[in-house]
Amino acid sequence: MSTNAKDMGRREGAFEREPARRVFAAELRECRYQFKDGEDEKSPTFVLLPSGERSNRIFIVGTLTEKTRQGEQNIFYRGRVVDPTGTFFIMAGSYQPEAMQQLAKIETPAFVAVIGKPNLYQKPDGSFMNSVRVESITVVDKETRDLWVLDAAKHTLDRVDAYAKEPTPDIIKAKEQYPTIDPSVFRKIAYDALAQIKM
Amino acid sequence: MDYSEAADRISRKFAKGGQTPDVKKIEGKLRRLVDEFGVQPSEAERSVTNELAKEYNLPVPGSGLSPAGGKGGGTEEKKIAEGVPGEWVTIEGKVVGLSQPASPSIAQSGIIADESGAIRFVVWAKSNAPAMAEGSWYRIESAVVDEFKGVANLKVHSGTTIKEISEDRSLIPTPNPIRDLHTGIGCVRAKFIQEWDASHDRMLQSGLLGDETGTIKFVMWKEPGKEKLVPGAVYNIFYAGVDEFNGRLSLNLNTATILQEEGEIEVSGGEAAVIGAIVHIAPGSGIIKRCPVEGCNRALSRQNYCPVHEIQPKFVYDLRIKGWLDDGEKTHSILLQRDVVESLTEITLAEAQGIAENNPLGMDEVFLQMRDKVLGRYITCHGREIENRVLVNKCEKITFSTADHTALLNRAGGAPS
Repeated sequence: MSTNAKDMGRREGAFEREPARRVFAAELRECRYQFKDGEDEKSPTFVLLPSGERSNRIFIVGTLTEKTRQGEQNIFYRGRVVDPTGTFFIMAGSYQPEAMQQLAKIETPAFVAVIGKPNLYQKPDGSFMNSVRVESITVVDKETRDLWVLDAAKHTLDRVDAYAKEPTPDIIKAKEQYPTIDPSVFRKIAYDALAQIKM
Repeated sequence: MDYSEAADRISRKFAKGGQTPDVKKIEGKLRRLVDEFGVQPSEAERSVTNELAKEYNLPVPGSGLSPAGGKGGGTEEKKIAEGVPGEWVTIEGKVVGLSQPASPSIAQSGIIADESGAIRFVVWAKSNAPAMAEGSWYRIESAVVDEFKGVANLKVHSGTTIKEISEDRSLIPTPNPIRDLHTGIGCVRAKFIQEWDASHDRMLQSGLLGDETGTIKFVMWKEPGKEKLVPGAVYNIFYAGVDEFNGRLSLNLNTATILQEEGEIEVSGGEAAVIGAIVHIAPGSGIIKRCPVEGCNRALSRQNYCPVHEIQPKFVYDLRIKGWLDDGEKTHSILLQRDVVESLTEITLAEAQGIAENNPLGMDEVFLQMRDKVLGRYITCHGREIENRVLVNKCEKITFSTADHTALLNRAGGAPS
């Protein structure tokens, strides 16, 4: 995306890790559009945020309020992580053994930092479900949670501001995919999230 | 495109050589390439010219290249910097460095320079050429420029004549900024900013050189008469080989003339501060074992195996964290050294060793404890960025700032900016 001189000098095919986007639960919940960048089987999958940014990975910090173990042969864990704006649904299965072991150990409720990949599912009734496949989850303190709220608010505001300015291809796509969403609602959501931090 | 003009231009080139190409035919060919095949006009002109040159068995006009089956006669006197791979050339230059030949079939190898630039050369043993002396000037007739490992190289073969030039000419090389170096030969004025552990028995020294424009890795191989550089000192380095390895440039100082000087250089770049959350701790983090052989220091495998020195039961423990620091826009690869790991995790090397030796999970337990202490945390890392990895020499945890909080509240509550 950014093409500064340094990126140009890089050899083709050099690995670049997908950044972990900061997004509030209230925005992730609105996602309805998921796409692959490239034809390859291993091409990354992105969820398009309504504020016009693609996200292959997210970083969230919130309160793990609930976790359940499911499955007999293929054990997997589901959990709910709550931020000031709503709830993230997280899961870790046998394909993420490290994440599953981490999640299994944590006692609810606890502040947790989660790095994971957002996934979009359509339920049989046609409604959408967003869940986060956990890459790793650790228990953190309240200060880290508060720092994350600032971080997520800042990135949300950056996206909302960018949306109103020069449209990038992803912003154009977001306007097509989410014609009824005005991202300025996320400004209000960010404000409310910030206002919940008590000094 | 004006086809008739281009066709005229081409036919004139061949008219000089006594040929009379059909201008109408040339024009037709150009038209076909451009109109039907969408070829760029300049490329079409070039392609038609080459086609004709082949037909007449002539060198391509405007280049010294002989056509297929060339007799090596088409050699042109050139400045060294003008030599292009594939050409036969005659040059006059000074031998500024000699290196040990890499193979018995090579009699001599080194670097020859004139005021335009420098090129590596090899003299084949079969050529029976007279040995050249470092510091002397020579006229080399009918040598071939070719490419070896992506770098231009002058080959002296049996058809080449070498004559010593007795008059003393002066040659003052000018240093290039490190940022502008490219594969071949380079001159720099740089400061020795970081010494690295030699990663090979034959290596005398390796490290990092820097100037106002950037940094570059260097190596010096063991050879009689080679002396180590002094960390912190400034050097004028003339005619070092510039190689590319894994997409990165590196200076080979074995052929270079190295002069230490008194000056000081403000080394720019490299020093970076990155802020973000730690989103991944890579395997190989935590407590590790290092090879005790002097100058090696490699990380050993679980079986205490060093890739160079094999099994090393008397290993040395060390701490490190390899991971990814993510600011939401970009992810930086980070490497934390022992003292940084100790301050961030609040686990000292001695404590980590105790955990590793007294716990059923051993070294894994240190990894897990450290992971739980740092993963998902916000930190600022200071260090030098090399090969897209930040070598962190200092880091601190980010603390909650009421000022940031207030500023964001105002921004979110205010009108869209």
